[in-house]
Amino acid sequence: MAKSDDGIHILQGLLVFGNVVIGICGIALTAECIYFVSNPNGLYPLLEATENKDIYAGAWIGIFVGFALFALAVLGIIGVIKADRTLLLVYIILMLITYAFEMASCITAATHRDSLTPNFFLKQMLERYQKSGTGNSSDKSLDERLTQTWDNLMLQNKCCGVHGPSDWQEYTSAFRVEHNDADFPWPHNCCVMNAQGSPVSLDGCKLGVSGYYNSNGCYDAISGPMNAHAWGVAWFGFAILCWTFCVLLGTMFYWSQIDY
Amino acid sequence: HTTETINYTPTLASPDLGGLITASTFVLEQPRCVFKDLTTEEIWLVVAVPDAVKDFNNSLAPGTPERAFQEFPNATPAYMTLNTTLLNYPCPKPSEDITVLRVGSETSCANDASRPNCNGPLPNPGTYQVKFLAWNGSSPVAETRWSAPITLRTAKQPSSIPVPGSGHSAGMIALTTILSILFAILLAGLLAMLVFWGSDTCGGSSSFSKPEAVSVRRYNTHHVYDQPAARL
Repeated sequence: MAKSDDGIHILQGLLVFGNVVIGICGIALTAECIYFVSNPNGLYPLLEATENKDIYAGAWIGIFVGFALFALAVLGIIGVIKADRTLLLVYIILMLITYAFEMASCITAATHRDSLTPNFFLKQMLERYQKSGTGNSSDKSLDERLTQTWDNLMLQNKCCGVHGPSDWQEYTSAFRVEHNDADFPWPHNCCVMNAQGSPVSLDGCKLGVSGYYNSNGCYDAISGPMNAHAWGVAWFGFAILCWTFCVLLGTMFYWSQIDY
Repeated sequence: HTTETINYTPTLASPDLGGLITASTFVLEQPRCVFKDLTTEEIWLVVAVPDAVKDFNNSLAPGTPERAFQEFPNATPAYMTLNTTLLNYPCPKPSEDITVLRVGSETSCANDASRPNCNGPLPNPGTYQVKFLAWNGSSPVAETRWSAPITLRTAKQPSSIPVPGSGHSAGMIALTTILSILFAILLAGLLAMLVFWGSDTCGGSSSFSKPEAVSVRRYNTHHVYDQPAARL
């Protein structure tokens, strides 16, 4: 009858709209994950050093899931308009597989974000920053990249250590093995620099006079991008999956109403 | 003649300084406006282990092995360093200036026996006490009181830092739970669909037809007039 026909037309319209949104979100997810994977803040070596790269694994999966969502959304729109049972069944099954992958990506990103505590970075910094000496070559190159990352971090963000310069005093470190405490209570990159890149007053920096050394820690500068990354991959993915859930339920219902 | 004791206790500098006490150095306030009328004497800083404070002999001259930095603390319980005249401690002290003495800042002469007055880094974090002693070349003239015991920092090993293995935040648990439930519902729906499909081919159900390209014919309703009764 006219009324149930209308109802079906409305359902079709809603499903097409739902798939359009899924397609757009898929593209957005791909773009966002490519951005994160391209390491814009240069913090990747900090994660690489402890084999805790899974937050990047989440982003890599997100790239491919985004494409898959876009392609499947197009398939879904065609299937809904043609009311083709086979097409819609294929669509639903492939969507469920994509759903599972995106679930894995979200959960991985969220779980590994939780493990990135200040102490995690502190321990790694103390053990590897400016470490020299023997070790296999991949370890050494990792140490060099980590040292460079920390140097850039401290210079650009005008910060020192994870909690502050006292990190270098409270704990022994690879840095301390190389540099004695009297000349280097903390690395010279913690000093306020002049335009030529050397400390304004080395004595003031060693004494710890405020204004000549950076007394704040770098954890905020690290956790800011990491949190944005985690929110982007985990929670945006979660939102997409909730929407996809509704569209898939609607599609299943629509499928059951088609006369073969 | 006897050594005059001045009623001044050497103190650490302001706690605002980040490097007030490190593992091998510490920072003292300069003794400004403490020694009066001593224009030619040299003011020395004496650093000693607390055991040497009680029977300290002021007459041992600086530069001798008994007061050499390089012999401290194994062969001698005290050393003298940071000698200067009162010209470097002008009185009154300008309030904006930071007037401090950093004990332990000279690393270049720490192992150089020809520099017994080296202001070298303290070898261990153990407790120390300091005082200022004014010498006029051959004998002590004035001294301040001994400071309170100063203990330097002992650094901990980084392996002692607790890195919590698995601390899951509420958000992550909520995300996992909700997604798992939704996924389970979808799988159940898929299963229902497949069962439904299997049974659907056997019997019909209310379903709509595929939209065919049919043209709807428009009926012209054709009024049939009631023939009036035959007119006459």
